[in-house]
Amino acid sequence: MAMRQTPLTCSGHTRPVVDLAFSGITPYGYFLISACKDGKPMLRQGDTGDWIGTFLGHKGAVWGATLNNDATKAATAAADFTAKVWDAVSGDEVLTLSHKHIVKSVNFTLDSKHLLTGGNDKMLRIFDMIKPDAEPQEIAGHSGAIKKALWCNNDKHILSAADDRTVRLWDRSSAEVVKSLSFEASVSSMEYMPEEEILVVTYGKTISFFNALSLDLIKTVDAPASIHSASLHPDKDFFVAGGDDFKIYKYDYSTKEELESYKGHFGPVHCVRFSPDGELYASGSEDGTLRLWQTVVGKTYGLWKCVLPEELISDICDASYPATTELKA
Amino acid sequence: MRTPMSVLRLPRGPDPNSRGFDPDSPRFIALCSTTISSSTDTETDSVQIGEEQCARSMLRESFLRTLIAMTNKQVQFYMYERVKVNAVFVASDIDVLNFQVSDLQTPIGVQKEALLRCQDVILYSFDL
Repeated sequence: MAMRQTPLTCSGHTRPVVDLAFSGITPYGYFLISACKDGKPMLRQGDTGDWIGTFLGHKGAVWGATLNNDATKAATAAADFTAKVWDAVSGDEVLTLSHKHIVKSVNFTLDSKHLLTGGNDKMLRIFDMIKPDAEPQEIAGHSGAIKKALWCNNDKHILSAADDRTVRLWDRSSAEVVKSLSFEASVSSMEYMPEEEILVVTYGKTISFFNALSLDLIKTVDAPASIHSASLHPDKDFFVAGGDDFKIYKYDYSTKEELESYKGHFGPVHCVRFSPDGELYASGSEDGTLRLWQTVVGKTYGLWKCVLPEELISDICDASYPATTELKA
Repeated sequence: MRTPMSVLRLPRGPDPNSRGFDPDSPRFIALCSTTISSSTDTETDSVQIGEEQCARSMLRESFLRTLIAMTNKQVQFYMYERVKVNAVFVASDIDVLNFQVSDLQTPIGVQKEALLRCQDVILYSFDL
């Protein structure tokens, strides 16, 4: 019996959610950080969406947020011209890194010892977390504001997407461009999958997949509406995308066939990300909410519970948590 | 007509009174090293940590008592951009991020009620 998707809505933000990121899988589960224009990024338990804490300190909209692999550190990029590093366990601010313009993107190296930032001053910067007062290594080249900057290939290379309609691959040690890709439209988002070395890029109504090392095109899929973000499932079975028409689309990666589309958000979808175990994906929207969606609808996972009709009757009799069969968005 | 997937409950939202990061959570207890950052760099024995913690407790208590003493008093706030304003201190929020003040005297008039962002304050002084 096919079940209908029940998304879990995480409220709390008061302005649009513009970025979100998952941590890796830790002994305490996995975590989710959301960047919001209200300036207060939040940390949530990844599988349930339960709020854990809010990072307080930024004086402007937070455009980018990331967690290190074991979710002990968080970093945020904001319109107050700073990137901040936080202790993700206590919520304390650890570092403030000043920039000359709005910072849009932050990314930790695998060992969390360096932080890559990129923003409206078109410069990539690498900060040493052990010597934060030292001048960052600066990499110039983009002619437009940097939207996203990511470490790749075991932190030996950097991938950056900017408003100059290019995605560039940089060698970290030489700070030189290795390869550049040009697009007809502004790149709206970029996701890097380290295990498979795949880069997911969205621009206009298109979702493209590239080999992250060579930047060779693997495949391209066109969506019915302008797409702001896409994410590929860890096992490469599906990918999800969201954009201007408020819907979340789910596609089969191998056949490129649209499998499902989900309505739920009340505004354009700005970001979508699969969880590290692939069991759910999270979406952030202009409506100020995050929603968690099941990859396989019907599975018992996190807060979702598969209740068969016979179980439903016995549950009502003795359960402390009555199983709800209808949930309004 | 497909049956909607059942849910145990909705995700918990933020606590309106705090910024979270529950110190009683298993993760916090396991991962949060002593907040005495100075002692994590050097080899400090437990006696010194104890002494340092006593000093910190005293300082914290003094600070909290100054907040109490300041209530309903005229306070001068020296802020960035050479701003010096007078106001009646009413309260602080729990993380000392904002001060609630009354009758804030600004160059463009007196603001009956206002919130001052603590990050913007360099120093403040008042008469006991």
